[in-house]
Formats: sequence, C-alpha cells, structure tokens
Amino acid sequence: MHETRPAKITSPIVSLSDGYARTIPVALIVAAVGIVLSFILLQGPERFLYSYLANFAFLLSICLGCLFFVIIMHLTRAGWSVTLRRIAELYAMCTPYMAILFLPILVTTLTGSSYLYPWVDGGWSIHGGGDALASASVDQLPPLEQLKASFLNPTFFAARWVVYFTFWGVAAAFFLFTSLRQDKEGGIKLTHRMQAISAPALIAFAASIVFASFDLEMSLDPFWFSTMYPVYFFAGGVLSALATITLTALWLQRTGRVTDEITIEHYHDMGKLMFGFIVFWGYIAFSQFLLIWYANIPEETFWYDIRINKVGWKTLSYILLIGHLFIPFLAMMGRTVRRSKTFLSVATVYLLIMHWIDHFWLVMPHYANAPGGHLREGVVTTSFFYFLGDVACTVGMIAAFIAIFCLVARSRPLVPLQDPRLGECLNHEVH
Amino acid sequence: MAEKSNNESKEQELVGLLAQFDDPETLVHACNEARAAGYTKMDAYSPFPVHGIDPAIGIKRSILPFIVLSVALGAVVLGLGIQLYANGQDTFWPFPGYKFLISGKPIFSIPANIPVTFEIIVLSSAFATFFGMWILNKLPRFSNPLHRVSRFKRVTNDKFFLMLETADEKFSRSVSEGQLNDWGAVAIDEVNQDLTDTELPKWLATVGILGAIMLMLPPAAIFSQWGMTNRLPRLHVVPDMDWQHKSKTQTMAANLSNELDGVSLMYEDLRSARRPVDGAIAFGSLDIDSELSYGIKSDFAYTITSGGNALTRAEDTDKADKKEEKEEKDGDAVAPAEEDNLEKYVTTLPEGFQLTEEILDRGQQRFEIYCAACHGYAGAGNGLVNQRAMSLAATGAATWTSARSLHEADVKDDAKNPVGRIYDTITNGRGNMGPYKAQIPVQDRWAIVAYVKALQETGIQSDVPVAADDDAEENQEQNQEADEKQEL
Repeated sequence: MHETRPAKITSPIVSLSDGYARTIPVALIVAAVGIVLSFILLQGPERFLYSYLANFAFLLSICLGCLFFVIIMHLTRAGWSVTLRRIAELYAMCTPYMAILFLPILVTTLTGSSYLYPWVDGGWSIHGGGDALASASVDQLPPLEQLKASFLNPTFFAARWVVYFTFWGVAAAFFLFTSLRQDKEGGIKLTHRMQAISAPALIAFAASIVFASFDLEMSLDPFWFSTMYPVYFFAGGVLSALATITLTALWLQRTGRVTDEITIEHYHDMGKLMFGFIVFWGYIAFSQFLLIWYANIPEETFWYDIRINKVGWKTLSYILLIGHLFIPFLAMMGRTVRRSKTFLSVATVYLLIMHWIDHFWLVMPHYANAPGGHLREGVVTTSFFYFLGDVACTVGMIAAFIAIFCLVARSRPLVPLQDPRLGECLNHEVH
Repeated sequence: MAEKSNNESKEQELVGLLAQFDDPETLVHACNEARAAGYTKMDAYSPFPVHGIDPAIGIKRSILPFIVLSVALGAVVLGLGIQLYANGQDTFWPFPGYKFLISGKPIFSIPANIPVTFEIIVLSSAFATFFGMWILNKLPRFSNPLHRVSRFKRVTNDKFFLMLETADEKFSRSVSEGQLNDWGAVAIDEVNQDLTDTELPKWLATVGILGAIMLMLPPAAIFSQWGMTNRLPRLHVVPDMDWQHKSKTQTMAANLSNELDGVSLMYEDLRSARRPVDGAIAFGSLDIDSELSYGIKSDFAYTITSGGNALTRAEDTDKADKKEEKEEKDGDAVAPAEEDNLEKYVTTLPEGFQLTEEILDRGQQRFEIYCAACHGYAGAGNGLVNQRAMSLAATGAATWTSARSLHEADVKDDAKNPVGRIYDTITNGRGNMGPYKAQIPVQDRWAIVAYVKALQETGIQSDVPVAADDDAEENQEQNQEADEKQEL
C-alpha cells in the first residue's frame, strides 16, 4: 500500500547557501555592463528607453504574477502548492527592488522629456495625414484626450507608481515575512491570518494591475485604449510567473537543493496551470483583437494596424500567434510532457522567451509611430547595432533580476518549513 | 453451476467471485497479489478513491483524452466548414451557400469565424468527454449482476471489494476462491448473471405511443396557428422591444408612435441616414494649416458654407460661379492679375513642406505624369494634348484655352503669380485646366510647384520659339516619311 509521507522537510540543502554570495556581484556587473552597453549601442535615451521599458514590463509582470500565485494559493487554502509557494513569495518580494529599476523611466517622465511617453510635455504632437504640427497644447487636443491629460501627467503618474510599489511591497513583505515567521513558530494561526488578508489583497492587487498596466504600456499611445489590456497584461504575467517558478524549482533541484520536497506531481500541476494560462492568454489576446477588428473604428484599429500590416511587425505578430498560442497549446496538452522534467525545462524557457517577445511587440512599435497612429518624422534605423543593443539590454535586465532574487532569497529556506499543509503537499498525487 | 444463489431466477451463469475486504490497505495488497498471480480481468470497488489502486489493479491509461482530441480537431474542421459552406461560397452544387457580406469583412474571414468555431470545439469536446466516458464504461447498463449480491451494498459505505471475473484465463472456481482467502478476504460471494429472457411490460408499448401522440399536440396547435388568417394584430408583450426607438441603416425612419395606427416618424424626411453636421470633417482631412493645404496665408479668414462637408471657402464657390460666367463670354485664358486678391497667396514655400533634392525629383516625376501632357516636358506649353486640342480648335471643331507655357513672363512673375497661386492652380484648376486636388496629395502638389519654379529658373531663351522648332523638326520628319511613302 501507499505509505503516507511524513510532513517533514528531508532534503539536505534547503537554501541557496553559498551560491548567492558569489552570484550577486557577478550578476550586478553583468547588469551594469549590459545596460550601459545597450545605451551606447542604441545611441541615446530615445531608443534605449523603449528597450528598457519592454524588459522592465516583462520582469515586473513576472513578479506580479508570482504575487498573484501566493495570494491565490492562500485564498483557496491550497495544500498541493505549499513547497512551491516560497519560491513565489521570494519573487514577489523582488517587486520593491524593481522600483529601483523603474527609476530611469520615472526620472524621464518627471524631467518632462517625452522620449518615452508622449503625454509628458502637456500637449501631444499631433500628426495629421503627412502634415506635421509643432507640439500642440492641451487645449488643442480633442475633448476626450483633454480629460486624459488630467490623469496622464508626470505628477499623478509618479504618485500612482509610489502607491503601486508601496502596495506591492507591503503585500509581498507581509506574505513572505509571515511565512518565514511560520518557519520558526509553526501552527495554524499564521496560516489563517494570511488567508484572511489574501481576499482584500487580491482585490487591491486587481485594481493595481489595472492602472499599472495602463500607465506602463498602454499610455505609450495615449490616443488608444482597451479595457481588456489589464487582463492581457495579467494573463501573460501569471503565465510567465508560473514558468519562472517551475524553471526555478527545476534549476534548484538540479543543483541539489530541495530535492525531496518538490515532486513530479507538483511539476505536473504546474504544467497544467501553465496550459490553462496559455489558453487564457490566447483567449484574452484574441478577444481584444476581435472586438477592435470587427468594429473597424479607426480610432482603435490603428494600434493593430501598425502591428499587423507593416512588414516587419506582421511577421512578429504571426510568430506570437503561432509561437505563443498554438505551439505551446499543442505541446503542453499531454500528460507525458507535463511529467517530464526535461521537457518542462525546455518548455518554460520557451514560454518566457515568447512572453518577452509579447512585451517587445507591445512596446516597440510605438518608437516609430507617434500618437494617433501616424508615422514619426525621420527615419527609423534597424541595424545590427540596434539588435545588439536590445540583446544587451535584455541580458543586463535579466542579470539584474537574478541579482535581486539572490539578494531576496539569501540564506532563507526555499520551502516553508512548518506549514500546516506540508503533509498534504508532500503526499500530493495527480492522476 | 446451479448452486444456491441469492435470487429466485432459474437460469444463472457465474460471472465472477466477489471478495470483501475491510480496509483499503488489504484491498490494495490483494490487488497486487492478483496482478502478480496473472489475473487481468478483475475490478476493485471502494467507497472512496484509494491511492495506489490504479497501478495495483493494472489499469491502463484511458484513451478518452485522445478521443476528445480527435473530436476537437474534427470540430475545428466542422466549425470552419459550416461557415465556409453557408456563408463563404455559392458554387457548391447542388446546394450552394450564400455569400453573405457582413460588416464589410472578407467573405470567408477567419477572425470573424473564430467565435462560432471555438464554441463548437468546446461543445463537442464536452460531449466527447461525457459520452465518451459513458461508452468506455459500457454505460448505460440496465442491470449489473453485482447488485444482486446483498453484501455489495456496503461498498458505498465502509467495505472494499475485489471481483475476479470468470472470463479471465487464470480463473478457476476453487483455486480463485482459495487465493482470495489467502489474500485476506473477509467474505466471498458468487456473482451470478440472470439469463432469463427479459421482456418489457406489455403495457409499455401502448402507453409509449399514446404519450408520444400527446406530446405532439401542443406543437401541432402552435404551428397550425401560423397558417391561419386572423385579422387581429399579433400580441406584443413587450412593445418597447418590438417598436424600438431607433432607426436601422438604410431603412425608413422608425415609427415612434405607440398607438396602433399612429404615425410619428423619427425623422420627418423619412430617411434614417442623416447628413453630417455642417462643418464636419472627414477623418484624416483636417486641414488646419492653410498655407500648406491651400497656399493661402493664415490671415485670410475661412467661412464654412452650409451644406458643405469640409472647410470650403465661400470665395471658392463665388469664384466657380464667376468662372462659368467668364467662360461663356470668351474662350481666352484669364489673365492672372484680373481675377482675385493676390495678397492672400503665400509667396514662399510653406513650413509644412521641406524641400530636398529627393522631393524635387519627386516633383519632376509628378510633373511628368500629370502636367507634361498639356504643358510639355520642359513646361513650354507644347504638350501633346495641348497640340492636339489646338489643332482641333483651329479647325473649329472645339473650343480650347491653350495651356500656358510656364516660361511666360506672367507665369514667372512672383508678384502676379506667387507660389501659392501656382499651388491653387494645381489644386482647383484654372480655365480649361481641371482641379487636380483629388489626384495629387498636398505634398506632391508642392513638389510640383517647386519643380515648376526650378524649370522657370533654368528657363528657355525667350527669343527661341522652342515649340515651333520642335514642330518644325517633327513636321520635317513626317514630310520626309510621307514623301518616301509616296515615292513607293
């Protein structure tokens, strides 16, 4: 008969131990080199900031997705995910450190330069049918956009981001530190406390995601709007978070840590969740597209027009459709593949790359296209150096993210040591 | 074997042996032993799912997921196929579809067809899962011999059972019983199948037919109403829904009256399609920059004429009237100075137009496309259209105002013919020259203006009649050819 596993942590190594001390300086150096090199190769802030924003949005969405994972696992009193939850808690705790990485974007908008966000300088450049106007004042904007100006201005923007990072930081800290406290104290009281807080936390989280996604990426073209956008950001973020958690768990176990606590059953369930969110992402992405395409209102369609009808972006859109939806859908469908660690390693990396492409696709077209969907004057060069610059920025940002994670994880245990649902977790079976 | 059994039918057939166990561990142990002993046709029963029972019993993974996958893939074809057949083509014989143009989308348009396809996939997958599970479990079954074993009732409560089937090769009545006892069975029962012929009760057929007829009465009553003539109007339970205060496109204006025969149209002129509001400007055609779009200095005011749908100027309408009057009088070109207020035209290229060498080349290209036909490639007024028209006018077959040579003094003079006026000529026409604003975009028009000025700069010596020379050469050649032909 099947014996019940005892509710005990039995792996010899349960933390990053010495690894993190060596990793952090190396990662920080790589990050600094990458970002500076990118700035140089991309010839200045105007182009660099777009690459930076795409990477920042990608990494932030991972942190927020992990925060969501923690909240939802507490809210649903989940037992199966207990040994994976600490990894998610650690990633969620990276969010306040991401505030440091947000500074370039924040400083750019506060100093009034519209390199990135066109709404920064009060009036937006209006281009009409090939004729160019100098930057108009707010009064010359259409009435709806005048209303938007009261929301999209540097001061309110900065205030909002202070609120977002404060909330995310407080929520992540609460869940991580309560969980760490439970490592020492044990008992169910702290679990009940986290469960009670998780419900209002989720509501506030949803609100924060809505406005953060508006601020971060949707306002790149302030003429365009889509109420689906936060859901799109969220879906992709949770998918990336699940992939990151899985990949981290696989890597940790590969390097000899927490070898007993995360079983193939957990990977199976994470594979199932990833499959679900692939479908969810595709559904949301298609819904957003279909409504705008079907209504065919120029006020909304130009955003898709620049991504679908221009030669280079058209290819990328198809790559996203096939590579982010169809291929992962078919690949992650089967039971065998979800229970194969090799396959999951490849699949999670693939999903993260695909989602990075998603953010690139969301952010980059706005570099060439001024608000309102008209072409910015001047020639947009796409050269090998720009490609290298993008690569350097990506590598640098990911290195920074790794440094942050190692800093957060330090020598903390990578699984909850005395969670009351540990027994349920270690005996979890998926059929 | 006709042994004592727990029912009273005559014919029995042994189907298997049912062993009872008191806890799940013993059951799983017994399952393992049975599998080790070579049994394949057996099954275990328990009140709750028991961990580890599937591999113990040797249950293979179900093929249901693959059934669902195949059905789902078929549903993709079905969903898209339905829409393609019904709305995407009209040539499939003998039952063609109808090419339905919906919202201006392509006749067979994948994004528009996705929602229906998606829902068909979901529905068929759900059916495949549910009914597939039934079929794989050999359901529905009208009876199961296990229910004849009274001990088996405890399976939904607190007892665990293992049944070895006679169909298995290894099964043997005595040996199997002994094995089950060895493996820890608390009690063993025979499971017998009742082989007496079963018949449905005789009254069932009669009741069934009567019931079916009764069920058809209400629909028959309803459908028969459709064919009846009735002078009374239909019942409208929700008048707000049936007479909505909206007008659909390309229909007559809606009737808003709530009375039976009342008429109160939404629009008095019967049309649901309305004209745009005065001053409405089509998307993308906002021409705030008058210097760029009209060649007119921004000081000069605009008036929006009623009934127009663009920033048309009252002057333009007046000018058009005046032009008609003038043309009725004489067919000569109107001298530039007479016409209009030259002050309003810009004298330099506007700020919205950046002149570069590429733009000038573009101007040349556009000039040669649109203007050279009449004005000639050098702007000397000797374009082929003009020549032909002049020769026709000379014979009296038509009236024609000659295309000006762009090198004439009037045309070159910046006071009498500023660049803004050249632009205006291209845009709105002058004399016999029609307006080109519909064919040539704003930037291209200015490029042509720039090229015209460039032509005028390089110029042609005014005392050498270029047009005559060209004609003379051509005529010479033509005469020579004609002579040669005659000689032949």
